[in-house]
Amino acid sequence: MNWRIVGTLVSKDLSLFFRKRAITVLTFVGLIFYLVIYFVMPSSVDENLKIGLYSPFSLPASIQLNEEGLDITAVDSEASLKEGVIDGQYIVGISLPDDVIEKLNSGQKPKISLYFTPDVPQEIKDAVEVLISELAYMQTGQTLALDVSEEILGPDMLGTQIPPRDRLRPLLAVFIIMMELLGLANLISEEVERRTAHALLVTPTTVTELFVAKSIAGIGLAFVQAVLIMVIIGGMNTQPFVVLVTLLLGAALATGVSFLIAARAKDFMSVMSWSFPVLIILIIPSFTVMFPGVITGWVKIIPSYYLVDTIHRAANYGSGWADVWLNLLILLGFTLVITWAGIFVLRRKFQ
Amino acid sequence: MSIRRVGVLLSKEFLYGSKSYIFIFAVVGPIVISIVLSLIFGTWLSEKPRLGVMDEGSSQLVSMIQEKNSVESIEYGTVSEMKKAVESGSIDAGIVLPSGFDSSIIRGEMTEIKAYIWGESLAKSRTIIGVTISSLARELAGQETPIEIETTTLGDEVSMPWSDRLLPFIVLMAVFLGGLLLPATSLANEKEKKTLGALTVTPTSIGDVFLAKGMLGFILSLFMGVLILALNQAFGAEPILLTVLLALGAIMATELGVMLGAYVKDFATIFTIWKSAGIILFAPAIIYLFPQIPGWIGRIFPTYYVTQPIVEISQLGGSWADIATNTFVLIAIDIVLIIILLFILRRKQYEITGGN
Repeated sequence: MNWRIVGTLVSKDLSLFFRKRAITVLTFVGLIFYLVIYFVMPSSVDENLKIGLYSPFSLPASIQLNEEGLDITAVDSEASLKEGVIDGQYIVGISLPDDVIEKLNSGQKPKISLYFTPDVPQEIKDAVEVLISELAYMQTGQTLALDVSEEILGPDMLGTQIPPRDRLRPLLAVFIIMMELLGLANLISEEVERRTAHALLVTPTTVTELFVAKSIAGIGLAFVQAVLIMVIIGGMNTQPFVVLVTLLLGAALATGVSFLIAARAKDFMSVMSWSFPVLIILIIPSFTVMFPGVITGWVKIIPSYYLVDTIHRAANYGSGWADVWLNLLILLGFTLVITWAGIFVLRRKFQ
Repeated sequence: MSIRRVGVLLSKEFLYGSKSYIFIFAVVGPIVISIVLSLIFGTWLSEKPRLGVMDEGSSQLVSMIQEKNSVESIEYGTVSEMKKAVESGSIDAGIVLPSGFDSSIIRGEMTEIKAYIWGESLAKSRTIIGVTISSLARELAGQETPIEIETTTLGDEVSMPWSDRLLPFIVLMAVFLGGLLLPATSLANEKEKKTLGALTVTPTSIGDVFLAKGMLGFILSLFMGVLILALNQAFGAEPILLTVLLALGAIMATELGVMLGAYVKDFATIFTIWKSAGIILFAPAIIYLFPQIPGWIGRIFPTYYVTQPIVEISQLGGSWADIATNTFVLIAIDIVLIIILLFILRRKQYEITGGN
């Protein structure tokens, strides 16, 4: 292997990629917009039901609302309660009548007023009604002979939920990496169709050097962009080396896929028509992070699942090598097989 | 400019262009995206806590939970199946009802149920599930609710569920995929194959070619916009006004597409522009998805003036008076874009036809 030739080929591919100033500028503009999407997403999770409570008297300890998941603010008048609900400070306003305790104690049914805005979902309205009723049962001493023994499955994230924007991290990483396969597949298919690859092979350049150069260029382009984004969005704050290795393997996977597409495609249009279905399939595993439970176990047959899952676990939960080694091994296996298959079919095309 | 020649070119565009990948993508893409996004955001992003139930006997509580609106219930046949669903986050919690649960509760005997909670489940979801189970168990035990609840809705804002918030995004996707990408890629294709230069040595002018390609984009864009609104049952009470708005949006998309085609020489550049600058087009729709983002930011983007009137009419029951200003802004943008386009055509005619 002549590394000088490989270096020349890599710099040729990179200069071809960056020759079009518009493409260079727009690639960076694209990255900036991905960042904008990340930063406009909510940075925290609203775990609690924000409730405003107006009570004309101080509540006895027996009906203090201390349930987890409830964020209760006492207000001093019914008018300010309504104002708070309209302003969106509270999802519901609860107004207790003066005689609530007396009526409850005497077996009568006091009327409790709940104030909602129109955009509150029906399920929340129903849930609040159930909640208030339950508190009333407790106040009237109606016991329930029911014991619920709880078992938390998975790490208990109460109070430390992952914000929606951080759930985007694996999607952004996989999206940026996989989008680069389009550019690389196009670069290779152009070389094949314009026969410049054949022209190169009559020089001292070998097929192996050509593939190594293409791989370095492809991996480099995807890897650098993904790392840049991950650094900015805080994806490297925990377990940076795990994230780096995962991104590198992901970039190598994308390069392998681009070899396969380039072997089949004839021009940019056919690169697109082959790439989009592949891209959609490769992006599907990101939904397991954004919408947990939406996709079942079959998603594990998609190679990018191991990229997404590892990034998610390392960047969002701080999982280390011991937790993700199997994922990385499987990702490496997929990458090797796909890259080998890509090189095999492309080599046949070159010959 | 010859109307007959434009007609001939347009019919050829329909004949050959309709077989292109972009044409098929512009038709199939928005429909698939519409269905997928509606499923994702309409169903899975619901705030309703999901409760799994595994009944070892034949408890009435199962059907009572199913009827309750505060939670979404799913019944499981085995505990392991339910635990797997909890672990994956498919459900927030799963409960196991022991055999004889109902009779024990009715008799007032202490009954234990096992609950599996997903670690990432929100505190409010856990609370809602907990009180719902207790409340239903009390109902089963024959306890009477000790209070009356009176619910009042304040303000006159209209509730906007996720599936509705997505409409601007889907409409923009439908209008701009065909309207922008089709003329742009078609022109780039002609330039790459040098057929544009060949065409203009015939009596056909460059204006005829651009108009024909623009018309194809406009027709497809308008058709897809109407189709997507119809599929989403969003035509409301003003179908003609909505069609006019879609047509104005389609004109904007086509003008941008033709401009792009005039400047860009290959698919790769068009694709890169779509990939990155495309976000500018969809920014108002993305902002609309998240009410926390100040609405004025959307006004910076030209496509706001397409989406706002459509949303106002189709979702908020607005009338012409509510959209007049923004519609006039949209018309003004369309006119400015036409003037820019004519200017570009005049300046770049030689370049466009393949000269250096």
